[in-house]
Amino acid sequence: MNGIQRKILTMSAIVLFIMVTIWVVLTYYNQKTQEQYNDILQRYLRMNEVTDRSHQTIIALNDYLQKPSSFKLDTLNQSKESVVLAKLQTSNLRNKDNAFTLTNYIHMIDSLVEAADLSVMFHGQNNGEQSAEKFEEATRIEKYIAETTITLIDKEVRTYDTFYRGIIEQSTELKRLGLWLLSLITIILLLFTYWFSLSITRPIHKLTIAARELSRGRFDKPIEIHSNDEISFLAKTFDRMRVNINNLISEIQQKAQLESELQQSKLLLKESQLRSLQSQINPHFLFNTLDTLSKKAYLEGSEETSDLIANVAGLLRYNLRQLDRAVSLHDELSIILKYTEIQSARFTDRLRFVHEVDEGCLQLQLPCLTLQPIIENAVIHAVEPLEEGGTISLRIYAEEERVMIEIEDDGAGMSEEKIRHILTESGSSEGAGHSTGIGFSNVVKRLRLFVGADDVIDIESAPNCGTKVTIKIPKERRFGGYA
Amino acid sequence: MRKFVILSLFAGCLVILFFTLTSMIKVFSSDLIEPAMMAEQDHGYRLVLITLELDTPFWAKVEQGAMAAAKRNGVSLEVWGTYGTNRDDFLKNIEIAIASKVDGIIVQGLDTDEFKSLTKVKAAGSGIPVITVANDVPMNESLRRTYVGSDHLEAGSMIARQLVSDMGFAGKVVLMVSDRQEYFQRSRLTGILEVLGQYSDIETKIVAAGDSREDVAEATNLLLNEEPDTDAFIAVSANHAGSIIQEISKRMQVDNFFIYSFDDSPETLNLMQQGEIDALIAQSPETMGEESVTHMIKWLTGEQVPLNPDGYFTDIRVLRTEDTP
Repeated sequence: MNGIQRKILTMSAIVLFIMVTIWVVLTYYNQKTQEQYNDILQRYLRMNEVTDRSHQTIIALNDYLQKPSSFKLDTLNQSKESVVLAKLQTSNLRNKDNAFTLTNYIHMIDSLVEAADLSVMFHGQNNGEQSAEKFEEATRIEKYIAETTITLIDKEVRTYDTFYRGIIEQSTELKRLGLWLLSLITIILLLFTYWFSLSITRPIHKLTIAARELSRGRFDKPIEIHSNDEISFLAKTFDRMRVNINNLISEIQQKAQLESELQQSKLLLKESQLRSLQSQINPHFLFNTLDTLSKKAYLEGSEETSDLIANVAGLLRYNLRQLDRAVSLHDELSIILKYTEIQSARFTDRLRFVHEVDEGCLQLQLPCLTLQPIIENAVIHAVEPLEEGGTISLRIYAEEERVMIEIEDDGAGMSEEKIRHILTESGSSEGAGHSTGIGFSNVVKRLRLFVGADDVIDIESAPNCGTKVTIKIPKERRFGGYA
Repeated sequence: MRKFVILSLFAGCLVILFFTLTSMIKVFSSDLIEPAMMAEQDHGYRLVLITLELDTPFWAKVEQGAMAAAKRNGVSLEVWGTYGTNRDDFLKNIEIAIASKVDGIIVQGLDTDEFKSLTKVKAAGSGIPVITVANDVPMNESLRRTYVGSDHLEAGSMIARQLVSDMGFAGKVVLMVSDRQEYFQRSRLTGILEVLGQYSDIETKIVAAGDSREDVAEATNLLLNEEPDTDAFIAVSANHAGSIIQEISKRMQVDNFFIYSFDDSPETLNLMQQGEIDALIAQSPETMGEESVTHMIKWLTGEQVPLNPDGYFTDIRVLRTEDTP
């Protein structure tokens, strides 16, 4: 049996039970009162019966004495018997008040029967005078019996007076009780029914509200319904559905985010590949030419020029490699050194390059061409515009989990806005003035993709106080877009 | 709003619950007790005291004494009686008692043939003992077992002696009697005359009057007209004293007469306190009632058979004006 049905049945059973109980009690009391009334009536009837029957006896006796016959004698005997029977019944009516009178009464009936018997006997002996005398006596006794009956009934009324009044009072009280009970039950049922219907409709109402919330797209509100019927089951199922939908939605959102990130990095790659392709105008011709130039310079005794040209060629070769491949810090460092050498040739004393490298960190993998653009940036902004030149220092050291690469210059520094600009990767058109065609923002983007976290680069700068760029790369790679 | 409705409903519910509970308590706690039924017949003796004058204080006292004795002895006693000396009802009562086969009848003696035939034939025939009380009927006429009450002969003598000592040895004495010449009255008269007859100078005159006040007043009037030189009145029937005195007081000083009566009823006692009655015979009605019952029981149980046929006399004494408080 299910919950709501059970509830309704229980309710009906309770109501039925109350009704039946009250009906039984009231009926019982009514029955009791009825019985009392019957008893009382019977008492009166019995007393009256004695009067009637004794009168009949006298009539039968008179009949017999007038014209004796066996039939009439039978009638007389019968009526005598009925009087005796009535007498026996009246003896049950004895109580404290009427005991004396009732005993007299019973004896009077005996006297009556005796007188009647004697009368018949004398008549049988043809003793008419005595017979008539006895008959007269019997008649008188019959009269006394009738009077005593009235006395008895009178006494009865007096004895039972309080009892009768009690019965009357009780019956009025019973009627009043009935009315009170009716109104009480009405109100209780009203309250009970209200409460009961609420226990069914409240969960439904809650469920409706929850469904409305869901239909508006709010999936985060839990549906809580405490009830012990089908509604609760419905609510639970509904709630589970809500949780499932919620999970699905957040999963989809995550996937979409991932996809967009992937898309972005792909675009970035394509862009840089395109750039590199643009600059690949017959690189072998260029390398060969540079090599020839280098050797020619060497042969002509210009070793410095030869080295310079060799560095440029190395730089170019490095630059033409696949950008999406990770390289070791060692390789990256060597390319920086080549670059600084070239720049030193250009700026002579104006460029002072200091590097301080922890050898243990050189095996660290990092995206290719990440440090060079930053160094170049420093050269462009901190050395080139100044007549007295500047110092660029590179410091590589290990921390607990990361390798820190610091590139510091003592140039004019840059504004907060510029820093934010770089860090939010919005400088897409940058890198035009760079030797490798890769701008600062590009580096930041690739680093972030490589490390898989945003916190890879710090820029500290203040106007006229120089700029310090710190790159932080974890020793262990978690995941990355680069194979 | 909804809360208010619910609250008010709840309050109403409580109020009605209260009324219902009180009503319920009333209905279920009022256990009606039916008058106790007696399954078995009471085996004690059933006695009936039948009097002719249920309304007089004298008989009320007799009844009291009888009832007390009946209670003490554990017998049931009923007092039947008629008011205003209705003889027919009185006789009927006796007949009913006989028909009811009571164990004993204590009856105020009535000096009539019907009474005698009832007690003699019916009661004796049915084996029901009869004791006369206060007023006697001779045994040979009524076949009563005994008599309990005052010795009326002695009472007559006593009042006569009192009269003589008050009035002296000469004078005219009127004896007012009821025209219903009953045995006890005759005894009183005999007693009085026995004493007064010894004095030749005392003249006695017997006047009979009816029982009603008018009859007595008329008789007194007549007497005062015929015999203005009367010295003393004796109201042989106690009920007459009041009327006589009232009648005399209309015409002359009551103090001039010596007036005597029997029975210390409130009326006569009152008259005596006022000094209008000079002396009266006080009887002992309560003792009469008590003794009649005890003697009846003694007879019924066979403790004392036969009872003294002359009767058991109860205490009588002369009450004089000086004696009253």
